[in-house]
Amino acid sequence: MKPIDFDLHRPETLDEALDLLAEHGDDGKVLAGGQSLLPLLNFRLARPAHLVDVGRVASLAVLRRTATGVTVGAMVRQASAEQSPAVASHCPLLAAALPNIAHPPIRNRGTLGGSLAHGDPAAELPSVATALDAVFVAASIRGRREIPAAEFFRTHLVTALEPDELLTEIRFPATDSGTGAAFAEVGRRRGDFALVGVAAQVTVADGRVTDARVCLSGVADTPSRPKDVEDMLRGTAADDDVVRDAANAVRETVEPVGDLHATADYRRHVAGVLLARALREAYETAERSEDGHDLRIA
Amino acid sequence: MTERAALRWVSRPGAVREDRRFVTGHGRYVADITPPGTLHVGLVTSPHAHARITGIDAEAALALDGVVAVLTGEELAKETDPLRQYLDLPDVHWRPLAVDVARYAGEWVAAVVATSRAVAEDGAELVSVDYDPLPVVLDPEAALRPGAPTVHTGHGTNVLAHREFSWGDVAGDVARADGTTQVRVRWNRNSTVPIETFGVVADWDEHRQLLDVWASIQMPQFPDQLASALRIPGNQVRVHFDVDVGGSYGVKRGIKHGVLAGYLARQLHAPVKLIEDRAENMHGGDFHGPDRIFDIALSYTADGVFTSIRIDVVDDEGAYPGRSPLQLAKPIGAIVGPYRVPSAVYHATAVTTNKTGQVAVRGFGQAPTNYAIESAVDAVARELGMDRFEIRRRNFVAPDEFPYRIPSGTEYDSGDYPAVLDKAVTLADLPALERRRDELRGAGKLAGIGVATCLEPGGGNAIFENIMNPANDKTTFPEACRLRVDGSGAVVAVVSISSAGQSHDTMVATLLGEELGRDPATVTVLRADSLSGMPSQSPVGSRMTIVLGEAIRAAATDLKDRLLRVGAHNLGVPVADVDYVDGDVVVRADSERRLRWGEIVAIAHRKQHLMPDGVEPGLEVVHVAHTPRSGGLTAPDGTVQLYPCFSFETHLVLASIDPDTGVVDLDRYYLAHDCGTVVNPEVVRGMVYGGTAHGIGVALYEQFAYDDAGQPLTQSFMDYLLPSTHEIPDIADDEHCTPSPFTTFGQKGAGEAGYMGAPAAVASAVNDALAASGVAPVMSLPMKPSDVWAAINRTTEGNS
Ligand SMILES: Cc1cc2nc3c(=O)[nH]c(=O)nc-3n(C[C@H](O)[C@H](O)[C@H](O)COP(=O)(O)OP(=O)(O)OC[C@H]3O[C@@H](n4cnc5c(N)ncnc54)[C@H](O)[C@@H]3O)c2cc1C
Repeated sequence: MKPIDFDLHRPETLDEALDLLAEHGDDGKVLAGGQSLLPLLNFRLARPAHLVDVGRVASLAVLRRTATGVTVGAMVRQASAEQSPAVASHCPLLAAALPNIAHPPIRNRGTLGGSLAHGDPAAELPSVATALDAVFVAASIRGRREIPAAEFFRTHLVTALEPDELLTEIRFPATDSGTGAAFAEVGRRRGDFALVGVAAQVTVADGRVTDARVCLSGVADTPSRPKDVEDMLRGTAADDDVVRDAANAVRETVEPVGDLHATADYRRHVAGVLLARALREAYETAERSEDGHDLRIA
Repeated sequence: MTERAALRWVSRPGAVREDRRFVTGHGRYVADITPPGTLHVGLVTSPHAHARITGIDAEAALALDGVVAVLTGEELAKETDPLRQYLDLPDVHWRPLAVDVARYAGEWVAAVVATSRAVAEDGAELVSVDYDPLPVVLDPEAALRPGAPTVHTGHGTNVLAHREFSWGDVAGDVARADGTTQVRVRWNRNSTVPIETFGVVADWDEHRQLLDVWASIQMPQFPDQLASALRIPGNQVRVHFDVDVGGSYGVKRGIKHGVLAGYLARQLHAPVKLIEDRAENMHGGDFHGPDRIFDIALSYTADGVFTSIRIDVVDDEGAYPGRSPLQLAKPIGAIVGPYRVPSAVYHATAVTTNKTGQVAVRGFGQAPTNYAIESAVDAVARELGMDRFEIRRRNFVAPDEFPYRIPSGTEYDSGDYPAVLDKAVTLADLPALERRRDELRGAGKLAGIGVATCLEPGGGNAIFENIMNPANDKTTFPEACRLRVDGSGAVVAVVSISSAGQSHDTMVATLLGEELGRDPATVTVLRADSLSGMPSQSPVGSRMTIVLGEAIRAAATDLKDRLLRVGAHNLGVPVADVDYVDGDVVVRADSERRLRWGEIVAIAHRKQHLMPDGVEPGLEVVHVAHTPRSGGLTAPDGTVQLYPCFSFETHLVLASIDPDTGVVDLDRYYLAHDCGTVVNPEVVRGMVYGGTAHGIGVALYEQFAYDDAGQPLTQSFMDYLLPSTHEIPDIADDEHCTPSPFTTFGQKGAGEAGYMGAPAAVASAVNDALAASGVAPVMSLPMKPSDVWAAINRTTEGNS
C-alpha cells in the first residue's frame, strides 16, 4: 500500500498552480486535503505522476458572504465551514450537512472543493450543492468558467472538470426568509459514508411551501434530485399526507443497488423514511424562522 | 491456594506498568526494528479465488532498479517443508507461496524483494502470472454436497474433519423431555483485527549459523515450526520475545510470513522485513476467525428444565486449515454452558472453501458456541413463554455442586452463577431498565433487554489436538519462569513469551511480589529469546495468569527454600525452625534472630565459606509448570478434561431499534464478571471492556464477506466495520469472586472476558425487541440494519 513514484509540486499562487496543471494535468492530480486522494494513491487506484498540492494558494481558502449568498473557496476546510457563522445563517443546509461528514480529524483536513471535485455520489456535499443549485467556478490557463451543479456531477467519481482545470470556488445562494433545512442519513456507523442521505430545504410563506429542494445521496451514480417530489410539495402545508406521498414517490423513482452493507430494497425504503424526516424537520425550522427570524443578508 | 485476606498486592488497585510506555508512544514493535541493510518484501497475490498457475514471468520485475530477487512458490517449495497442519491431511499442503494452484483471492503467489517496500510493490506489479481459472466453492454447506468443486483435489473431499460425540443417555433424556426447540444460527466470518498487521524481520548470521527473528507473534511452537519448515536445526533459530505485539487475541501466528522471511534472509544474506499491509492482511493473512453454521436442539421439560442438548456445527476453515479446526474441539469443555444438562450430542465438521485460511481467535471457538447455546436458551424461553432470567436460574449449576462434571467429562472448578446474575440485575436495576425499555417503546422504538450468561474456560491446555486428531497424543502445554536475585539483591523475573497488550509484566511482578513479600515495583520483568529462554506455549487460551502463576509460585518456593537453607545454616538452627518473612530468614521461636535479605544474598553470591553443603551458589531458579489438570488423553468414550478453570459472566443490555431504519442503538450495558481472584483490577476491567467492544462488533458490524466469485468484499476498514467509541455504549461492570481451587491465588482466565457473552447478549436484546412486536428473530451475526429492517418488514407485510 505505497503509492507509485510521483513528483510533488507545491505552488504558492493560483497562476503557478494553473501552469502546473496545464503542463501535467493529464498525468497529474490536484491534492487538497488528501482525505480521499491519499487512500486512492496508496491502493494504487490513482496513479498520477504529478501531484499539485494547492494548500499554499491562500486565495483558495477564503469563505465570504456576497450579495447573493456564500462563496466558499475550494480549499476551505470542512471544519472551517462548519464553524462559520456565515454558513450557519445563510446556508443552513450546508451547515446541517457538514457534521455528518466523517469525523472531526477528517473534516479538519478535508476541503469543500476536494469533496465536490471527488464526486462521490454517497457524499453529503455533492447532494447539498445539487439541491441548492450551487455554481462551481473552474479555472485553467484557458480561462474561467461557471458550471451549474446540475451539470457538474457526471457519474461515480467523475465531474465536469477537465484535467487542466482547478475548482476554485463554489457559490451557494443565500436562503430567503422562512427557510428551513435538514440533512438526514443512515450509515452503519457514525461517520461512515451514508447508506442513504437526504438533503432537504423548504421555504415557507403563510404556512405554505413556496420552494422545496430535495436531493438524495447513495442511491445512484450522481446526487439524485427528484424534481417531481419538489413539485408535489410546492403550495402544500407539508402535512403528513403530503410527506407520505413524497416519500412513496421517492421510493418509486430511486434505483439503488445493494452491497455488503445494505440491500437495494432497504436503501429504497430508507430513502422514503429519511425524506419524510428531513422534510418534516426542514418544514418545522422554516415555520419557526418565518415566525420571527429573518435570515436574509442584511 | 493462599487466603485472599492476607494479600498485599494481588487484587489491589496498582499501576499497570506497561501503560505509560504505550500511551507515550514508546512501545517497540517489529516495524520499529530495521537492521542495517534490510531488504523489504512485497507480494504478488492471486486475483482469482481458484486458479491453476500456468506461468510466472519475473523478468520485468527483476529489471527494475532496486529489485533484488523474485521468489516463486515452486522455488520455495523445493527447499522448505509445508507448514504444519494439526489434522492428518497428507494431501493438503499449506505453503507460504502457492504452488501450481491458488486457492483463494489474495493468496500469495510470489514474493519480490527490494531495497524498499515501495519498490517491492512496484516490482510485484511487474510480475506477470498466467492463470487458468478453476470452479470455486464458497458456501460451506455447498462445499459438502457431492459434486462440489474440491479445494484440495488430492484430498478428494472438502471435509477436513468430522467428529461425532454423544455423552450420557441422550435417547432417554430426549424421550423424557416435553419439548425440543431447534434453532439454526449463523456466525459469519470475522476476526480480531488489530491495528498492527503481522510483521516479521529475519536476519541470518552465516558465521554463527543463527537466524534471528523478530515477529509480532502470539503462537505456540513458532520457533520449532520455523526451523522445521526451513529444514534447519531448532538451535539455529532465535526468536526474540522482547517485541511488543500490537494486538492479537489469537491471530498473530504468521508462520508462513516467518518461513518466507527466514528463507529469503538465508538465501540473500541480508536482513529481510515483511510487514503486511492492510490488504495483504485482510485478504491473504490467513487470520480470519470462525465462520460457522450451528443447528442446535435443546430438549426440556414443561417446567423449563433442560434434559439434553444437541449441537451440529459446520465451520468454514477457508483454503488452509492450519490450527483452526481445533477450535471445534475446545467448546467441548463447556458444551452445556453454565447449565445442568445431563446429556449432549456434538457433531463437528470442518470444511474447506476458496477463502483465506482461518486461525485461532479469542476464545478458540467458545464465543460462537456460547452464542449458539444462548440463542437456543432464549428460543426455549420464547417457546414456553417463560422469563429468560428464570429459565437460566432454573438450569444453572448450583454453587454447591462444584466441582461439577458435565456430560463431556470436563469438570467445572468453581462458580456461583446465580450470584453473578444477581449482581448484574442489581447493577442494572432491572425494574428501572424495564421502565426505560417501556419508555423507548412508548416513543415509537422497538426496545428489548438482552441477557447472556456465559463461561470462559481458562488455563488452556492442548488436548483439543488429541480430540480432533486421536493420532496426536500431545498432552503437555507448559509455561515457565526464571527468577534471578543478583548480587545486590535485585529481583529479575524472566519469561519466554511476547505480549500483545495483556499486561503480563504487571501480572508477573504482582504475583512474584506477593510470593516473595517484596514490593512488585522493585521487580524487573524481562523477556528471554527462544534459545536462551524456557519452554513456553505463548499467551493463548486465557492461560498465563493460571499457568505462569503456577510456575512463579514454584520458582519462588525454590528460591525461598534456598534462602531458608542459607539462613538456617548461618543462624545455626535446623531449616525446620526458620521462617521466610518478606525476604528475611527468621528463627520461629525468636524473631529477633534473623538473617536479612541483603546478608543472605551476599553469602549466596560471594561467600562460599558460609554456604551450607549442597546449595548452589548464586540465586537463580527456573520452574517449568504443567497446565493444571492436564496430562490425560481423551477417554475411549469421548470424555475429556479440557481447560481447568471456568470464569463466568452475565451481560444485560438494553437495545433500542428504529423500526423504520432497523438501526440498533445499545442504550444501556451492564456486566457482572467472575474470574476468581483478580490480580490487577484495572487489567481485568480493560479485558472485560475490550472484549465486550469486540463482541458488540461481531454482533452488529464486523464481517469478512465474499462475492459469488470469491472476491473479498471487505477491502479495507471502510468495509470491515470495527466499532468505534460512538458505537460502544458506556459499560457498567461489577466483579464477583469465586476462587479456583486449582490455582495459586484462586485466579482464573480473563483474556477472553466480555467477548464470551457480548455477541449473545446483543443478539438477545435485539430479538427481545423484535419478539415484542411479533417479529421473527434474526439468527445471524452481524445483525445489520438491513437485516433487522427486513425482519420487521416481513412481519408488517405478512400482517397487512
Ligand atoms: C475515514 C474517512 C471517512 C470519510 N467519511 C466521509 C463521509 O462520511 N462523507 C463524505 O462526504 N466524505 C467522507 N470522507 C471523505 C472526506 O470528506 C474527504 O475530505 C473529501 O472527500 C475530499 O476532500 P479532500 O480535501 O481531502 O480532497 P483530496 O482527497 O485531496 O482530493 C479528492 C479528489 O478531488 C480532487 N480535487 C481536490 N481539490 C480539487 C480542486 N480544487 N480542483 C480540482 N480537483 C480537486 C483531487 O485531485 C482528488 O481527485 C471520509 C474520509 C475518510 C478518510
